[in-house]
Amino acid sequence: MTELTFDALDRDEALTEAIGELFGSTRARFLRTATLGSAAMLSTLMAPSEAAAKVSDLDILIFGLRFERLQATFYTQAEELGTIGRMSAAKQEWARTLGAHERAHVRIIKQVLGPKVEPRPFFDFGEDNETGAAFTRTAVAMEDLTVALLTGVMPKVRDRRLAAALFGLLTVEARHAAWARNIVGAAPAAQAFDEPRTLQSVQGAVARTRFVVRQPRTSAKRRPRFTG
Amino acid sequence: MDGPGRSSAGSGWTRARLLRAAIGGGAMVAGGAAIAARTDGDSLAAQSKDADAEILNFFLLLEVVQEGFYREAVRTGRLNGDLLTFAQTVGEQESEHVAFLAERLGGRADARPTLNFEDALSTPDRFRETAIELEEAALAGYVGQGANLTRDMVRPVATLVSVEARQAAWVRDLAGVSPAPRAADPARKADRVVADLRERGFVS
Repeated sequence: MTELTFDALDRDEALTEAIGELFGSTRARFLRTATLGSAAMLSTLMAPSEAAAKVSDLDILIFGLRFERLQATFYTQAEELGTIGRMSAAKQEWARTLGAHERAHVRIIKQVLGPKVEPRPFFDFGEDNETGAAFTRTAVAMEDLTVALLTGVMPKVRDRRLAAALFGLLTVEARHAAWARNIVGAAPAAQAFDEPRTLQSVQGAVARTRFVVRQPRTSAKRRPRFTG
Repeated sequence: MDGPGRSSAGSGWTRARLLRAAIGGGAMVAGGAAIAARTDGDSLAAQSKDADAEILNFFLLLEVVQEGFYREAVRTGRLNGDLLTFAQTVGEQESEHVAFLAERLGGRADARPTLNFEDALSTPDRFRETAIELEEAALAGYVGQGANLTRDMVRPVATLVSVEARQAAWVRDLAGVSPAPRAADPARKADRVVADLRERGFVS
């Protein structure tokens, strides 16, 4: 009987890409030829992750750009769909300010990355930016997640000029989160210290939303929803 | 009203070019001046335990001032509703920040200053204006000095700074001014922040 390899299963390399992000590209390449369930595969996956241990400034900026693009597109699409225009005046000001800031953050990080900017991913937020309630709920979660991401990566940053810049972005993202929480009647500052999350953890959270898709959405407003 | 950091809103991110050069070439060339030019931040001095102690004492001062302000505000009995909730909640958080910084500093913690908020607490409106002023001053100080800490210290401080920003946004929302008036918050030099606190008579 032919043994099944990872390579045979993962024809579009989606799993390899994800494992590469979590465990490093060297390990991901090795895993492609490993037999599923083999001791070699298990020991490779169990070993401490070099990617988790060694997150470079470039990794942080590249993921930061992906994340800011996700946020910026979320707000821009909500505007285009008319979702923001249907909300109360106070919520409109909130949503438009956050959208403008996230788009500015995209421009800032793109300037810093220069030629290392990755192609723009495709996003599909499904119904999450089509109604005011869903949009607001998702925005609150995204802004809190951004704060968790930035507080988590800050100690990993090696270039102090980049760290200085990120402090100025962290405070703005935390303002966004507090504003969003106040909009929905939740405590803007619920505890004395925020909970940081690792870059890998936030990557996982973003992957679970299935907001990042492989092809553009086919219709401007409605289904079919791409599920990644 | 505006905090002290608002003056440089909208200025360009000229540091981008320098950062890109550093990342693209893999060489961390000196470029602190470019950042300082935009942010009014302190230059990026060498990180060390001694420098940490100096910076943490600056942060401790910021937190002691805020804690004293909110505690006194609640004690006056002049606040109610959302403003009272804000003062009580944030006051407790500032106490935790003070305890954290004092614990980290141990015997190197500076003596507590004498605080005076009499005028600033005369009415709820004055309280709200001063709260915004203090929160913005603290944020600008944190943004200016946070990156000068050793990386071990950046970890907990970043999770405190984000809460300070939440507090600033909260009280600005209560005052009816934009909670997030700019896309990136500017820094201020520590000595300027301290000088402002002294000039306003909050610290002596």
